[in-house]
Amino acid sequence: MDNLVIEGTKQTPHIDFNASTGVLSISGRSIPENTFEFFNPVLQWLDEYAGIAGDETVINVSLEYFNTSSSKYILEIFKRLKGVLNDGKDVLVKWYYEEDDEEMMETGEDYEDVSGLPFEIIAIEE
Amino acid sequence: MAKQNIYQQELENLEQAKNFLKRSEYSKMDIQLEFKKLVENYEELIDQVKIITKISDRLQKKLNRTNDKLELTNQQLNDTNIKLNETIDALAEAKIGRKAATIVLFVAILLFIISEAWIEPMIEKAFPNFWVGLGLKLIVAILIKPGEDFTNKYMLKKARKKQLEEAEKELQDKTNKI
Repeated sequence: MDNLVIEGTKQTPHIDFNASTGVLSISGRSIPENTFEFFNPVLQWLDEYAGIAGDETVINVSLEYFNTSSSKYILEIFKRLKGVLNDGKDVLVKWYYEEDDEEMMETGEDYEDVSGLPFEIIAIEE
Repeated sequence: MAKQNIYQQELENLEQAKNFLKRSEYSKMDIQLEFKKLVENYEELIDQVKIITKISDRLQKKLNRTNDKLELTNQQLNDTNIKLNETIDALAEAKIGRKAATIVLFVAILLFIISEAWIEPMIEKAFPNFWVGLGLKLIVAILIKPGEDFTNKYMLKKARKKQLEEAEKELQDKTNKI
C-alpha cells in the first residue's frame, strides 16, 4: 500500500501517512475551500489502511486552527481509527498544541471523550 | 469506501428509515430492530453535533482573540509608522534647510565678489558717494535671510511633490497587482 503525503498550504494541513510504519501525521491549518475534496482521499486511504494496519498505529495531530467542516472530518478520521482499535490493534493519538493555546488543548480533550481512542495531549513549548 | 459527501452516512440512514416506513407490512421484531437502529444513529448524530458545535465555538473564540491581537498590532504599527514619517519629514526638512543655506551663502558670496569687482567700481564712477556702495552691500546682506527662506520653501515644495508622486505611483502599482 502506498503512503499518503500531501504538502501543506496556508489553507490545508500537511498530511504524512505511512502505512508501513503505522505513523500518521497531520499538521498545520485546515480551512480548505472544499473540505470534501481535500479529506476524501485521506478517508479513502484510511479505509484501505484499516484492512492492512500493523499492530501499532500512532497518529500525530498538530493543528493550529481548523474550520467546522474539518472538525467533522477529523472525527471521521478518528472513527476509522476506532475501527482499527476494535480489530484488536493498538492505536494512539498524540494531540499536540502550543502551550498557550488553551482552546486547542480542550479540543483535544473533547475528541478524546467522544472518539473512544487513547490520547496523549502534549504541549509544545514555543 | 469513503462517502461522496460529509453527511452521506447520515443521509443513507435517513433513507433507510424512510424506505422502512414505505413497507406495507411490519412484524413487531422488524419495528423493534429498525427503531433501535434509528435511535443509535440519532444518538451518534447528537454526539457529533454536540462535539462539532463545541469545537466550532471554541475555535471561533480563538479566531476572535487572534483578530483582536492583530488589530492591536496593526494599530501599534500605524502609530509607529506615523512617528517614523514625522521623523523622516523632520530629517528631510533639516537636510533641505542646510542645502538651502549653503546655496544662499554661495549666491551671497558670488554677489559680494561681483559687487566688489564690477558693480562698485561702476557705481563709484557714476556716483562718487561712499553711501551708495555701502547701501548696495546692505541690500545684499538684508536679502540673505528672505532668500534663504524662499529657497527653503521652494525646495521643500519640490521634495513633497516628488514624495506625493512616488506614493501615487506605489498605490497605482498595488492597485494593478490586485
